[in-house]
Amino acid sequence: MATAATTAVSVEERGGSRLSAAALIGPATFIVAAGLLIPIVILFRYSLNKFVPRLMMVDALTIESYVKFFTDAFYLGVFFTTVKVAMICTIACLIMGFPLAYALARTRTRYKNILIMLVVLPLFVGNAVRAAGWMTLFGSKGMINAGLVGFGLVDVPVQMMFTEGAVIVGIIAVNLPFMVLTLQSVIESIDRAVEEAAFSLGADPWHMFWRVLWPLALPGIVAGIILTFILGMNAYATPVLLGGPEFKMMAPLVFGQMQLGNWPFGAAVSFILMTTTLVLTVIAGLSLHKRYRR
Amino acid sequence: MARLELNQLSKRYGDFFAARDVTLDVADGEFLVLLGPSGCGKTTTLRMIAGFVEPTSGAVRIGDNDVTQLPAWKRNTGLVFQSYALFPHLTVAQNVAFGLEMRKAPRSEITQRVGEALELVRLGHLGDRLPRQLSGGQQQRVALARALAFQPDVLLLDEPLSNLDAKLRQEVRVEIRKLQQSLNLTTVMVTHDQEEALTMADRLVVMSEGAVRQVGSQRDLYERPADRFVAGFVGRSSFLSGSLETPERFRSAGGIAVACRPSTVAIGPATLALRPERVTVTPEAISDVENGFVGEVEFVSYLGGLIDLHVRLSPSDLVIAQIPNREDGFMPRTGDKVHVGWTVASASVFPGSGDDADSADL
Ligand SMILES: Nc1ncnc2c1ncn2[C@@H]1O[C@H](COP(=O)(O)OP(=O)(O)OP(=O)(O)O)[C@@H](O)[C@H]1O
Ligand SMILES: [Mg+2]
Repeated sequence: MATAATTAVSVEERGGSRLSAAALIGPATFIVAAGLLIPIVILFRYSLNKFVPRLMMVDALTIESYVKFFTDAFYLGVFFTTVKVAMICTIACLIMGFPLAYALARTRTRYKNILIMLVVLPLFVGNAVRAAGWMTLFGSKGMINAGLVGFGLVDVPVQMMFTEGAVIVGIIAVNLPFMVLTLQSVIESIDRAVEEAAFSLGADPWHMFWRVLWPLALPGIVAGIILTFILGMNAYATPVLLGGPEFKMMAPLVFGQMQLGNWPFGAAVSFILMTTTLVLTVIAGLSLHKRYRR
Repeated sequence: MARLELNQLSKRYGDFFAARDVTLDVADGEFLVLLGPSGCGKTTTLRMIAGFVEPTSGAVRIGDNDVTQLPAWKRNTGLVFQSYALFPHLTVAQNVAFGLEMRKAPRSEITQRVGEALELVRLGHLGDRLPRQLSGGQQQRVALARALAFQPDVLLLDEPLSNLDAKLRQEVRVEIRKLQQSLNLTTVMVTHDQEEALTMADRLVVMSEGAVRQVGSQRDLYERPADRFVAGFVGRSSFLSGSLETPERFRSAGGIAVACRPSTVAIGPATLALRPERVTVTPEAISDVENGFVGEVEFVSYLGGLIDLHVRLSPSDLVIAQIPNREDGFMPRTGDKVHVGWTVASASVFPGSGDDADSADL
């Protein structure tokens, strides 16, 4: 009886809101379809074409480009470097971002908005400008090396620019604000009393975190991981400017190929990049959620 | 369960005392209620016991241990929050098991104790539900079961009933009290609901502005309020301002002379407090009371079984009387002249004549 009544109500509600829901998500759906899906389909079609050096792109249906990618040690190296760098950056952002987000969410200071602005501040500077700034700091004639040499701590400048480490630090600096803001909003929605309840029941701070805060913040953690991982996988300016000519990641590779006019291979690389990002994101999301699903 | 002692406990924010020199001794198995108006420091005191507010000075002892320096998770106090604060991602049974798991109890013991605790609050059948699938009253009982399951030394309740509707509140009140008595739980409850405090407590603590005003049984507080604040806060009182002429005679500012029981209050400015139901109101003069006056009814409030009257005895003396709705149909109306009387033992005298002395706390 009660069940029948609720069902009836919810059916009615759903019917009534169907139209307005369509109106609300319509524009966004259109933009996504026109701006994302169509280019992806075209890109995929391109990736199956043939590249002939003088004629550029020739219509065909071949997986030549994909075979080339997965059989060449250089391209595979770029692929694994990209995945590795993105993962390291994501984990580092989570580990560094969580305490920061927690402090931001729980602070009672009047200057909270200013603190949030400080977190976002790095994003006000474009990637290229920021990378240029880092060069002045980390370059062989940069401030740190000038200091080290000046104090006689080292004889030759330490190679800091154009290393994988520099790229990782650079990407973390860009991605950290996204992680912090995502986590902060979720932590803010968790009732402080729930944390205190855990303490009063005998949980020390570690158990409180692991048994209460982490599972309740999980939706935000997953969102933050997805966001920073996607940004890391697709990083362009940072690897180019801080990694130098020798260091390659996927996004610069795609662009390089297209500059050379090799659209089929560039399209294939972007397709591999996109698919990998998607698959890894879904796996991460599902495995994190499974632990707490009921 | 254990005895709980607070020794000169104070909490200062800046130069504002949220709690000031709170000294209390709660016996093993006693139900103590902290009562007071909003902002008087009840929650602050309770949170100092639980370990969430660090006292500025003073000490907390549970059993034989000084726990003042211990963090909340080492205190073994069971706390029920006003908002219940159940873990939304855990089932009812997992919520109740939490405290036992933190104490590394063996699995079989946890299962057994969780079952017992849920049975105690009559929710044995709902162990697999999530908190959001429960009604407010059920959530409240889960919070209680969770705080009891690990057998805390002291049970702390911060306005545990304020989110329940009036009828449920009455039931849960009795339930908690029975449970507390059968388990012999040392309990401190915070409330600003007088009726709740009066029906549940072994002893009450009236607080105001961070300080303890009086500690005692319901009867102590009602019949022998320690000061004007308590007389106004616990139950209702009419206040007449004036002065004490002799140890046994009070004269109001409006000139009324009242005989009262000998008090230790110094001769001079004073306030007289009078319980409304101790005042008799009759159409004719009353012979068997020491204090008899004539007054004019200013206001009548019909409460069914009872009638509330405001009777003016002089331009500056207003007395509130609560009389039974009698069969003989005596039903004063506004403007009527009536006879008002009370015995010597009915009034209390406090030093100082407050400016707002004729305002009664309702
Ligand atoms: N963190 C704080 N900083 C400054 N003042 C505080 C803080 N916490 C509490 N206070 C003040 O201390 C006083 C006592 O607060 P408390 O929460 O103990 O009151 P209460 O008796 O529980 O009141 P209520 O019945 O409204 O819950 C209040 O005036 C409050 O404003
Ligand atoms: Mg309070």
